[in-house]
Amino acid sequence: MLRLKLALLNVLRNGRRSFITLLAIQFGVISLILMGGFFASMYEGMREGVIRSQLGHIQIYQQGFNQFGSQQPEEYLIDAEVLQKVTKLVEELEQVELVTPRLNFTGLLTDGSRSLAVVVEGINPEKEALLSSAVKLTAGEDLFEEDTDGALIGDGLFKSLNLSVGASLTLMATTADGSFDARDVTAIGAISTGTREVDNRFMRMNLQHAQELMYTEGVTRLVVLLNDTKHTDEVMALLSEVFQEQGLALELRSWNDLADYYHEVVNLFDGIFFVVQIIVLAIVLLGIVNTMVMAVMERTQEIGTIRAIGGTRGEVMGLFISEAFILGLIGSVLGVIFSILLAQGITAASIMMPTPPGSSQNYPIRIFTEADLLWKNGLFGLLIAVISSIYPAVKASRMVITKALRFA
Amino acid sequence: MAVVKLKGVSRYFPVGNKPITALDKVDLTLERGEFVVLRGASGSGKSTLLNLIGAMDDPNEGEVFIHGKALSSLSDKQKSQLRSHYIGFIFQSFNLIPVLTALENVQYPLSLQRIANNEAKDRAAQALAQVGLADFIHRRPNQLSGGQMQRVAIARALVTKPDIILADEPTANLDSETSKQIMDLLGSLNRETGVTFLFATHHDFVLSRASRILELKDGHIVKDEQLQNLNLVDQIASGEKVG
Ligand SMILES: Nc1ncnc2c1ncn2[C@@H]1O[C@H](COP(=O)(O)OP(=O)(O)OP(=O)(O)O)[C@@H](O)[C@H]1O
Ligand SMILES: [Mg+2]
Repeated sequence: MLRLKLALLNVLRNGRRSFITLLAIQFGVISLILMGGFFASMYEGMREGVIRSQLGHIQIYQQGFNQFGSQQPEEYLIDAEVLQKVTKLVEELEQVELVTPRLNFTGLLTDGSRSLAVVVEGINPEKEALLSSAVKLTAGEDLFEEDTDGALIGDGLFKSLNLSVGASLTLMATTADGSFDARDVTAIGAISTGTREVDNRFMRMNLQHAQELMYTEGVTRLVVLLNDTKHTDEVMALLSEVFQEQGLALELRSWNDLADYYHEVVNLFDGIFFVVQIIVLAIVLLGIVNTMVMAVMERTQEIGTIRAIGGTRGEVMGLFISEAFILGLIGSVLGVIFSILLAQGITAASIMMPTPPGSSQNYPIRIFTEADLLWKNGLFGLLIAVISSIYPAVKASRMVITKALRFA
Repeated sequence: MAVVKLKGVSRYFPVGNKPITALDKVDLTLERGEFVVLRGASGSGKSTLLNLIGAMDDPNEGEVFIHGKALSSLSDKQKSQLRSHYIGFIFQSFNLIPVLTALENVQYPLSLQRIANNEAKDRAAQALAQVGLADFIHRRPNQLSGGQMQRVAIARALVTKPDIILADEPTANLDSETSKQIMDLLGSLNRETGVTFLFATHHDFVLSRASRILELKDGHIVKDEQLQNLNLVDQIASGEKVG
């Protein structure tokens, strides 16, 4: 009781120094929470962006597609019968928002004078509009089922072909049986997926029109959108079980398997975050060690007295570590509170971020304050404070008693 | 059993390349209830001797026994515990903990012994009453006079019921009137409790209260004089019961 009270009184004793120590701890906690919260919002933005512009949550393919499909995509199409059956099965799950087919192939798009290789996606416009909410229309109008020969052209492609809305184009492709065919398409609009690379060579058209061009009734994949990203693994497991039961030779890929670029960015930023963490740790550590060493020096005679009247080395160490613990606790709690306030303030201010690399859209800064982030960094602050006190505490406990007593 | 025993104790301090001999082969025995005054010129080795008896310093030669235990055989932790239970200290500059009240300062050595808060409080209040500070127990050191601070320090030394109380010039920072009061207090505590006192001092008025006077010179005990003052040693020797 009294021993703990002494630690508390010692914290209050030098207000200015305790204040500086508290500031250092808060600085650490706040900077890590804000940075972590900003990264988390960025990750989420990227993740949801890529899910809702290209990948969906889960994609369903004919068995073998991912291994061999790139050489002979026409051999690994899901046929009409299976398509219908699977669509029904998937739609039954409560976590599923929608499921939509896509037919992908590469072709040559020409405006009569110039030709460019394009990645074509035949889609169901109504469903795709719901799934691809992150795909932005940058010119013209959206695609509807009635626009039989209508096509949405990737933003970059639209510009490099110098197109205008309503332009007539010809799309050539190798059909499913290996011959060569062409169809006329009308550029009814330009779209941006958020990824510049994609926008430079991408187009979308009605599934039916695409199937006619390819001489097929099949599709390359079924894309599933869930009502929440966190259900992905659960639904993956469920579907693979159902497909096995039904004897369907299909394979599944989650957004997580497909979002290579997302993972690269996350890895890079996690690396940056780690470095920042080390830097913050070093700054805070040095700050606290410094003030603690000063406190130890100032109280040298007192330490000698405690030792003389029977305090062990452990007692003296415990005293200083308790003081650091108290400071760490207060500093971390304040740090977490201020972080929440700052995060809300910054998010509310909707400051626009510069466009991220490889992206074609920009977003306002948002900072997430998930419980996980808060308590982990709060604990981190507390730990830094306690760790910083170890060296000064050991120093205090190892003082030569007679010298310490003579110290004035 | 002797409270303190020194056998051939020497202490050197390395200064430059030839060491200073602060104590030279000192033999000394202190018995229970003695009121011993340690005299000697500055630099004669008084503080050095007190530090060795207080288990705060180690001799280069010889052995110090406290409560029958050879200090050289004890770990740092055991020495701390020995100080906690058997030795009390009174310092020249009082050395109270400034953030604690008088009561808490006296309670603190008991808390170090892990004695429960309530019991520690009671005993501390008792000790403060014994030194005449019953009305000042909730004051902080900076709200007390020098003499009062030293009384708190005396209560702090007493409260653990040690075998011996060591005091290095306890009156050096006090005026002569207060010094005399403090010495009278120590004398009466010595008679009441039977605790052995050993102090280093320059003040001569202390001598009249001493039961024994030791004089140090250049690290040697040059005089060891038993006085016929009324004191516990004689009472114990004559078989009287000590209360
Ligand atoms: N830590 C030390 N390092 C070096 N020399 C020391 C140390 N402590 C004491 N001495 C020397 O040992 C000798 C005895 O010192 P000590 O402090 O015991 O004397 P003292 O009798 O207490 O003197 P004073 O009356 O001035 O307090 C002195 O010569 C002193 O300089
Ligand atoms: Mg001295």
